[in-house]
Amino acid sequence: MLEARLEQANLFKKVVDAIKDLVQDCNFDCNDSGIALQAMDNSHVALVSMMLRSESFAPFRCDRNIALGINLTSLTKVLKCAQSDDILTLKAEDAPDVVELVFESAESDRISEYSIKLMDIDQEHLGIPETDYGATISMPAAEFQRICRDLIALSESVSIECSKEGVKFACQGDIGSGAVTLRQHTNVDKPEMNVEINMSEPVSLTFSLKYLVNFCKASGLSNQVRLCLSNEVPLLVEYSLANNSHLRFYLAPKIGDEE
Amino acid sequence: MAGAAQTPRKRVLTETTNTKRNILKSPNSVSKKRKLNDSPVKAFKNSQPQKFSKGSALGSSQQKSKFEIELEKLSQGINERKLKNAEKDQDWARPSLDDFNSKKGSLCFQQIDAEEGIMDGKASVKFFGVTETGHSVMLHVTGFLHYLYIAAPPGFVESDCPGFATHLESTLAMHQPVIHSVEMVMRENIYGYQGGELSPYLKITVTDAKHINRLRTTIESVGLGYKSLWKGVENGILTFDIIQYVLRCMIDTGIQGMSWVEAPAGKYELIADWQRSSNCQIEARVHYRDLIAHPADGEWAKMAPLRTLSFDIECAGRKGIFPEANVDPVIQIANVVTRYGDEKPFVRNVFVLDTCSSIVNTQIFEFDKEEKMLQAWTNFLQEVDPDIIIGYNISNFDFPYLLDRAKHLKVSKFPYWTRLKQMQSQAKDTNFSSKQMGNRDTKATNTNGRLQLDLLQLVQRDHQLRSYTLNSVCAHFLNEQKEDVHHTVITELFNGDANNRRRLAVYCLKDAYLPQRLMDKLMCLVNYTEMARVTGVPFNYLLSRGQQVKFISQLFRKAREKRLVIPNLSSQSSDDQYEGATVIEPERGYYDVPVATLDFASLYPSIIQAHNLCYTTLIQNKKVMKPEWKKDEDYIVTPNGDTFCTAKVRKGLLSEILGELLGARKRAKKELAIETDPFKKAVLNGRQLALKISANSVYGLTGATVGKLPCLPIASSTTSYGRQMIEKTKEEVEKKYTIANGYSHDAQVIYGDTDSVMVKFGVADLAKSMELGQEAADYVSQKFIQPIKLEFEKVYFPYLLINKKRYAGLYWTRPDKWDKMDSKGIETVRRDNCRLVQNVIETSLRMLLIDRDVNGAQEFVKDTISDLLQNKIDMSNLVITKALSKSDYAAKQAHVELAERMKKRDAGSAPALGDRVAYVIVKGAGGSKNYEKSEDPIYVLENNIPIDTKYYLDNQLAKPLGRIFEPILGDKKAQSLLTGEHTRSISVAAPTMGGLMKFAKKTQTCMGCKKPLVNAAEKEGAVCENCRPRFGELYQKTLSRVSDLEVRFARLWTQCQRCQGSMHNEVICSSRDCPIFYMRMKAKKDVEDAGKELVRFDSDPTIW
Repeated sequence: MLEARLEQANLFKKVVDAIKDLVQDCNFDCNDSGIALQAMDNSHVALVSMMLRSESFAPFRCDRNIALGINLTSLTKVLKCAQSDDILTLKAEDAPDVVELVFESAESDRISEYSIKLMDIDQEHLGIPETDYGATISMPAAEFQRICRDLIALSESVSIECSKEGVKFACQGDIGSGAVTLRQHTNVDKPEMNVEINMSEPVSLTFSLKYLVNFCKASGLSNQVRLCLSNEVPLLVEYSLANNSHLRFYLAPKIGDEE
Repeated sequence: MAGAAQTPRKRVLTETTNTKRNILKSPNSVSKKRKLNDSPVKAFKNSQPQKFSKGSALGSSQQKSKFEIELEKLSQGINERKLKNAEKDQDWARPSLDDFNSKKGSLCFQQIDAEEGIMDGKASVKFFGVTETGHSVMLHVTGFLHYLYIAAPPGFVESDCPGFATHLESTLAMHQPVIHSVEMVMRENIYGYQGGELSPYLKITVTDAKHINRLRTTIESVGLGYKSLWKGVENGILTFDIIQYVLRCMIDTGIQGMSWVEAPAGKYELIADWQRSSNCQIEARVHYRDLIAHPADGEWAKMAPLRTLSFDIECAGRKGIFPEANVDPVIQIANVVTRYGDEKPFVRNVFVLDTCSSIVNTQIFEFDKEEKMLQAWTNFLQEVDPDIIIGYNISNFDFPYLLDRAKHLKVSKFPYWTRLKQMQSQAKDTNFSSKQMGNRDTKATNTNGRLQLDLLQLVQRDHQLRSYTLNSVCAHFLNEQKEDVHHTVITELFNGDANNRRRLAVYCLKDAYLPQRLMDKLMCLVNYTEMARVTGVPFNYLLSRGQQVKFISQLFRKAREKRLVIPNLSSQSSDDQYEGATVIEPERGYYDVPVATLDFASLYPSIIQAHNLCYTTLIQNKKVMKPEWKKDEDYIVTPNGDTFCTAKVRKGLLSEILGELLGARKRAKKELAIETDPFKKAVLNGRQLALKISANSVYGLTGATVGKLPCLPIASSTTSYGRQMIEKTKEEVEKKYTIANGYSHDAQVIYGDTDSVMVKFGVADLAKSMELGQEAADYVSQKFIQPIKLEFEKVYFPYLLINKKRYAGLYWTRPDKWDKMDSKGIETVRRDNCRLVQNVIETSLRMLLIDRDVNGAQEFVKDTISDLLQNKIDMSNLVITKALSKSDYAAKQAHVELAERMKKRDAGSAPALGDRVAYVIVKGAGGSKNYEKSEDPIYVLENNIPIDTKYYLDNQLAKPLGRIFEPILGDKKAQSLLTGEHTRSISVAAPTMGGLMKFAKKTQTCMGCKKPLVNAAEKEGAVCENCRPRFGELYQKTLSRVSDLEVRFARLWTQCQRCQGSMHNEVICSSRDCPIFYMRMKAKKDVEDAGKELVRFDSDPTIW
């Protein structure tokens, strides 16, 4: 029996929105610690890892491990019916056929109930081992989104170069080239505008912008985004959520002249 | 003949084909005896085969493959061989010439090839052929001069001829005399009705065929200034009768392709040895007037004992690179030679580099040097003197490769495969393009005097298949698979020991033998021979030229009889489109009552005949119409608005040609029915087919705007009559079969296309509807002019009419039992989709139409879709093939992109232009295009890349399923087939490729509840804590799954071993067309994966 009540439907809506372009069908693994999701995109270049801890819900109840196989397109359709500030409750039996979603309006007494038929998804569970990264950059999520959107106009891929000077996002395209450099920056009034670079070794990697732009859809979830890089290791893009929950994206670097 | 063999004079090796020779029948065991050294080794003229190594004895210990047993049987029919040793003594040479006497006997032979040549400095035509006794002949036909016609201008008189000739000569200004003569003759232009009168034409004969083009262009472009007679002509002068010299000669002497010709005794003279230009046994010359051409009828329908050489080469390629002639050696050449009419080949041998264990009934020649082997092969070719050389993909691969290789190795005497002593064989690039066959880049190698048949090209031409590898073609036609050894494996085998090479040699020999079997099975030789005879063109033209030349040849032959001349119209390709056939708008739906089909028998030919449409009857100019002519009696106006005169005024040439063709076909069919000899039957059947095709092509050529003699009025009138007739048929049937006229139902024409109409008479009884169909056909036939005939052929019941040219139904010709399930335009017959679609559609149609089990069909479809989504469908069912026909497509296409990518990965195995590319659609990043998602099936298998099941469901299955289920179930229910409960269980494979996979670590999930096992205690185990109680159950389940998979894999493996014919060798086959191959690869992977899962139980904490 699963019952998870979320004060703000918005959170769940945004999370689903951010990943639905990468993954079509996936299992939501529910257990007593919370709801987790881990899936790779179809071309196996990116991996999404979501963890909504039980603390984010009130109340949260999950007696047994349950895997909810959900088609994200269907889930998006249902979530569209919810207002941002509705209270969302997820419910499922122990061996479920459907997952139920209840939206309660915060102001009025409107209660809407929806259910989605579940899928039996047989997929392998893949994870990226924890690594010590050579460089960790924290920056405003909106800034990162802007950089990616600006650069994709020029090229398909971006090289992220982290050195003593700062971090440089550069791209080379048919029509020309572009580069954005960020330096360490502390804004006392608005700590969310801080740019923080921790580096143990210089790093330079190339990534597909198409995916980065996709990741940026999660920008609304958090003010800050954390990029972790090491040479020849996938990039980690992390959006921290309240209560220790997080949404992480991993992206494999482009190597050599690979397309 | 027997005597001849005893006293060989010219050649050391004599042929002992004559079965009349009485040789003791020996027990079968002799042929199986493998001792090789008890008979003296016959001398192989140029290179002595090396002594067999001791290792060869091992060969016999190998288990025999099916093919080897087949090989063994080959010699059992050749009894005289028994006393000797079939591995060592195979006679190559043609029968000796002792019985041939040039003084008394006439020289009669079947000519197979003709070409221009020079005899005593003058143009001649060389005919190559074979006599009935099997001697090869080259006959120079001398004295024939090429000519053309021009219309004589008004005022030109007979006496002007010599003067005009001199004038022409000076206009041309060549170094030697060009004009042989100018004659004034009475001829008529074929194009358009001229009032039926002949008018004067000038026949200009040239001294040498090579001058004719010069003469023609001079006349056409420069014009003639002679006596200002051509003053009024502005745009050059029209010439008549443009045709090649060889064809002209054949037409004027009445020789047809592949027919028998005879040079009577005393009229021909043999050419002395020193003057000979060919290596044929007999070389002679004859004047063309003395040559007798036998029409291919009765006695002369026979075939000479033509020799067919089928061969195949193997090269030792390098890994990843397609063999290149200047690097990779030729390591084996297998040959099989068969005489026409014999069932079994009389020469079977393999030329091998290095040692090779012996093969039953096969001669093996071992060489230490590649150069020696190549030279020996040419010597063999010349000795065995084949009339036809066949093989699989020889023109694009084997021939050019051998030539290039020999050039590289500097074997200067190698490229002499022609029948002319001085003529080298050379490979040239050609590009063959026709509307019918599309564009193909090919190489052509000349083997003057010998015909070539590349079975690959032939099959591509005549048959539509999913794949054209030898393997799949054989599987299709011979129901026989062969192992498909990838070219990289060949090198490994070659570098092994003598037994490995033996294995390769058997493989090579099989590749050489299969084309021969294919040719026999498809009866290409016979059918093409008959086509050559019917249309009168040389055999080679049928393969190297398009359709037109056949018709042109027939037209010229007929025109010559009628004293007609054919204008050389400069072909301007116009975009003029005329209206084609009509299609009656279909009444879509599912018919649960019999639907009768009425067909017009050879519609277009019969229209041309019935309405006397022809070049000669076309009235272009109303002036030629006499005032007393009446419409419909003396002339007709077609529905298209063109005017033709009727048969009363003049019978059309086309109608005459068609009459003859169809008459001949009727005769051939009649003869076929009473003939019992299978060989003659084959000939007759080939003939009636050839006649049918020729008759049908007449219409097409009048409409070909880029053709030699287009005549749109004929073509468009033909189709307009066709349209009218279909409409009229509909009208008549619906008018007659009504309730008002006393029938039980109103008949309804539900569909009609080109030459057939489908009628629903409304009666539910099959026999009754057949009766009505027959009656209606007879009734409507009366309304049309002879020989147009509407025929009742079949009844469809039930019948599913989806759209224009798309329908399916159960086909009945007798009321008691259906004949077959017929489907047109439905995915079952199309090739641009995967086999899954074909299977699903076919099976559901079968269930719907034959079993009438609608629910069963739905269940079946659901099960299949469910399997698809769970990745349980076999890969071979998902492969889509498409031909790579040109390199620069405007739009990106899946197969083109894949070919590009494969080229980057491995240039050797990547598909080339003209190949069919096999691909599957794999999952790609969100929003990626289909062309980005195509992938090589093998690559997918190896790397476990997930298939885009959604694509297969939405883009491949959805539409065709909708089409057939919607009329039966209704829209809504049909839709549920694609979205129902069964689509909710899916499986996502994790690939071993892709950017992240190098870094990702697999987290095991609980086998019971799929929970990721992350904490240290359960990490290595199989189940999570909650599922502990189910441990036993889950273990049982996994164990039985593993053993099931093991059994499955073992079965597939043995299946492949059987196919390759040896049970203890590893399977090396990698045939991409074989469904078992994919199954085997998948099974192998499944077993490995399942095995890993089983191991997890060992480390599960539960057991402790």
